[in-house]
Amino acid sequence: MAATPNPMTQATQWLKKTKLWKSIFRHDFTDTPRTRLQRVFGNVFLHLHPVRIPKDAIRVTYTWGMGGISFYLFLLLVVSGILLMFYYRPTSAVAYQDIKDLTFAVTLGGFLRNLHRWAAHLMVICVILHMIRVFLTGSYKPPREYNWVVGVLLLVMTLFLSYTGYLLPWDQLALWAVTVGAQMAANSPLLGNEGPFRLPFITTTNDVRFMLVGGTTIGDATLIRFYVLHCMAVPFIFLIFLAVHFWRVRKDSFSVQTGPKVDVWPNLVSRELLAALLVTVILFVWSMLLGAPLEGEANLNVTPNPSKAPWYFLGLQELLVYFDPWIAGVVLPTLIVVGLMAIPYVDTNPKGLGRWPDLRRARLGPLPVLTTTERPFAVSVFMLGTIMWFVLIFIGEFCRGPNWEWYWPWEDWSHRRISKMTLKNLPNLWGGLLIVAYFLLGSPAPQRIKAWLAARFGPRAPERASALLHLGLGMLLAVAVFVPLVMSGDPDYPARSDTPTLFEALGRSRNAPVVQGMYGLVQSAGPAAGYAGIALLVLSAGLALGWIGIRFGRLKDRLYEELGLLKYSIVIPLFLIMVGVLGKIVLRLLFGIKYLVSIPAFDFNI
Amino acid sequence: MTNGTSASSPAGPDADVRAPGLWERLDQALERRQFILKSGWALFWLFLGGWLLSNLRYLFPNVLYEATLTFKGGRPEDFPLGVSDKLKKSHRVWVVRTEQGFYSVWARCTHLGCTPNWFEAEGRFKCPCHGSNFTSTGDVIAGPAPKPLWRCAIQLSNDGQLLIDKGRLENRPGQRDKGEFFLPYSNA
Repeated sequence: MAATPNPMTQATQWLKKTKLWKSIFRHDFTDTPRTRLQRVFGNVFLHLHPVRIPKDAIRVTYTWGMGGISFYLFLLLVVSGILLMFYYRPTSAVAYQDIKDLTFAVTLGGFLRNLHRWAAHLMVICVILHMIRVFLTGSYKPPREYNWVVGVLLLVMTLFLSYTGYLLPWDQLALWAVTVGAQMAANSPLLGNEGPFRLPFITTTNDVRFMLVGGTTIGDATLIRFYVLHCMAVPFIFLIFLAVHFWRVRKDSFSVQTGPKVDVWPNLVSRELLAALLVTVILFVWSMLLGAPLEGEANLNVTPNPSKAPWYFLGLQELLVYFDPWIAGVVLPTLIVVGLMAIPYVDTNPKGLGRWPDLRRARLGPLPVLTTTERPFAVSVFMLGTIMWFVLIFIGEFCRGPNWEWYWPWEDWSHRRISKMTLKNLPNLWGGLLIVAYFLLGSPAPQRIKAWLAARFGPRAPERASALLHLGLGMLLAVAVFVPLVMSGDPDYPARSDTPTLFEALGRSRNAPVVQGMYGLVQSAGPAAGYAGIALLVLSAGLALGWIGIRFGRLKDRLYEELGLLKYSIVIPLFLIMVGVLGKIVLRLLFGIKYLVSIPAFDFNI
Repeated sequence: MTNGTSASSPAGPDADVRAPGLWERLDQALERRQFILKSGWALFWLFLGGWLLSNLRYLFPNVLYEATLTFKGGRPEDFPLGVSDKLKKSHRVWVVRTEQGFYSVWARCTHLGCTPNWFEAEGRFKCPCHGSNFTSTGDVIAGPAPKPLWRCAIQLSNDGQLLIDKGRLENRPGQRDKGEFFLPYSNA
């Protein structure tokens, strides 16, 4: 080695002594315990981190980095979005042409558009996975309840950003997604022109849809509205909530506090950098290989057949098949969001904080089930909801073909398939009975009543009363579904239906397998044997439902004691509504039932 | 203080000390400075709330630049018996010719506003978005649509063409089969 130092090093050393350098960088960068701290709290971008953190909190397998990656994707979306804005004009005459230009004529335009689209999809995935992680590790438990609420709002805004974003290309997907979304707004109770219980002064020119669309038909006014929402308004609010979200993570500290404390620089910062690099590589390759979809130019007179929303809204689109728009489009999404927000306030169980739940095999009657050692109810309900949502997405993506008819994933689509779908309403009285009996399942049996029963009628009385109640409700549910299907006349006959009874109408259809089976049984085995078989079916369905009710009865009594009346009356209705949605889907797909209760005068259908 | 206020106090007429009236009670509850401060804040929130609400009104435009909903759809004799797709691509309506006359159906699903298609083989309108099925009269037979398709006002213009107005709509059975929503042959 030469005695004189390298001139480059000399120059650097001189530079570091200048006033200019020192005015920008306040500390030197040699790796000492002191500078490690200084790097974090002396840097505006890094100072949101703590300077030291428990080792287990930054374990990759604990968080999978989902929150951080979501934030990185947000930054990537801001940058690519700003670049796209240089070429895009939000008027219906040129918007579609500008997107075509971006894709085919502008250097790197297509790549940036792909990047923006795929990063948005990835961000939706990451935000959802982040929420699932936070739920499963109990990280929303006190003192982090409020931050969970902020997180749910950020999820909603992420979806709203996606929704407002895909109107902008002004292609068919855009137009029909917005048509459907705006029409859902028009179906809002009270404030929508087509919603139930519409207020007397609401018309097409002053309802919620009108405000969203900026007119009565979707056009230039809509495009500029969504443009402003997508590029300015929502990101602005999003950033405010994001700041609160991060701030609260710091203030409430991390959900894991085990393990020795390590320096954030370099331990956490390097992980963040690696995650960002990994995501960048994935997205760049993805955007180079796969173009963002662009359908034909928007045309209100033609709807693509089938017309499918992007995957993250397909669950909602599929839900809209089973319920009236005001329920599926307004009430249920609101309940989902409010229900998610309520989780930390109704979950009083302090267990399971800061670790992934342990899985364990158990039996539910004859069925083997997988459950968790801690928080089995919370985890099961949350996962049931999540899985239901993704099953709906799966159905929408892979099981729906032209005219939104059911096709198995391996079936070929045919635009000329003759299907002749038939759906029928249950008579209102039976349907109402079904709904009442179903929600009565949620009635609790408080300790006091049990004690009174035991004192009055003997120690086994409470158990017997519960069994009787739930078996009764189970039978009632089965009867309320099957009996009207077999006995009731078809109110559409003869104007809109060729058959005088519901049994015949649905039995001859091709979209009500259970009723078809029953009808077939009566046809082939003769009325006596056929109806006896149906009676047996009703009895066994009632007993099965009753048995589930009894099992559920024990659980809900325990829940009632643990939660108290207020929390119980939030948790159980939400739970019953969630399972009820599943029930209604089953009634539609297996029995061909459209509405349980239908009162057209108020646009009220369930 | 009027007699009315003291008489209404629970202490009764014999009470030596009069119960404080409304104004006195207010004075006690809100010391004067407090009162001014609280009024100030109340006005502040009132102003802020009012301003935000007024912005809500701002989002409802007063003038709309939208295309007319009335159009001429050609001569009646150009439409064969049954459902005609002829005007759908250009005006989003179907013209249906029956043994008795003409009516026009707006091609907009009553569920969430997609444009259904006509399937001649099944005699049904089917919607591609959520799978609603309608008969040629517009009645729902399957799928989630809550009410029948809308019929447009249809009449004969002076030059012998069908004049269709998508701004005047009707879908109630009975109402939709008469008046301006049905054009019988005697008029055509």
